[in-house]
Amino acid sequence: MKGLRADGTAIRIMAVDDSPISRKMIKKALEPEGFVIVGEAANGKEAVELYPTIQADVVTMDVTMPVMDGLDAASAIKNINSKQKIIMLSAMGDDDIIKDAKSRGIDDVCAKPFKPDEIIGKIIRILEN
Amino acid sequence: MSKDSYLSPFSLATSDVLKEMLDINIDGSETASEGDLFVSQGFIVVVGFTGGWKGRFFLDMSSETAIQMASLLTGDDYDSVGDEDVIMSGAELANIISGNAITDINNSQPGLNIRLTPPSVFAGDGISMFNVRLSSSSALMQTNIGTIKINVAVEGGK
Repeated sequence: MKGLRADGTAIRIMAVDDSPISRKMIKKALEPEGFVIVGEAANGKEAVELYPTIQADVVTMDVTMPVMDGLDAASAIKNINSKQKIIMLSAMGDDDIIKDAKSRGIDDVCAKPFKPDEIIGKIIRILEN
Repeated sequence: MSKDSYLSPFSLATSDVLKEMLDINIDGSETASEGDLFVSQGFIVVVGFTGGWKGRFFLDMSSETAIQMASLLTGDDYDSVGDEDVIMSGAELANIISGNAITDINNSQPGLNIRLTPPSVFAGDGISMFNVRLSSSSALMQTNIGTIKINVAVEGGK
């Protein structure tokens, strides 16, 4: 169970995506491995408001969302907690967006469509670092 | 800008995304120019793009194909194209296809900085879309769950 630490506690994930199908697929990829989805948000503003009320080890963040996009939301969350681990999870991943994401402190990037092993590997790696 | 230059990345992305997410192979494909009128097969997702290119992408299929596609994506069964999961599955697939295509275009032509608008979904019989001041081109793709048609229109495309 890759979603469990050595002490048996689950790795906590916050999933931010305007697509309920995408959030469903994130759950489908992570929950069988023991990860727990502790919060979901459908846009950046919801994510920033929800973030202080939960304790997520990793935030998965879509980019193109209504109200507030994922890059601005990631910046706002990093302002609250600079050590928060964030993975950008998006169908849009051109060089300019990746550069922008890195400049805002986003820890890693995962392109959609993603394979379960791919996103799990990235979560484990950024937590180890 | 030629039609091939803007249709090809979307054709390639459609083929890749259908294979990777749904394990659907494209059995045959043909391209076609469109006039001012685009008639839907019954379920159509529209994604707009802005920035260096202005235009839009259609992902079009029959209602039956949309239902089967949603079932393959989520693992659940649906009996109506009006089910929220069917609508959202179509929207997400179109979003990923267009996102992957635009990523390739942006990387191959630095400075274009094309961005996507959130998808809109229309379902029903007899839906017609008119291309106003846009030149468009289509690719029809045959799959084991029905014909999937993509259409890309770009302002100034020829």
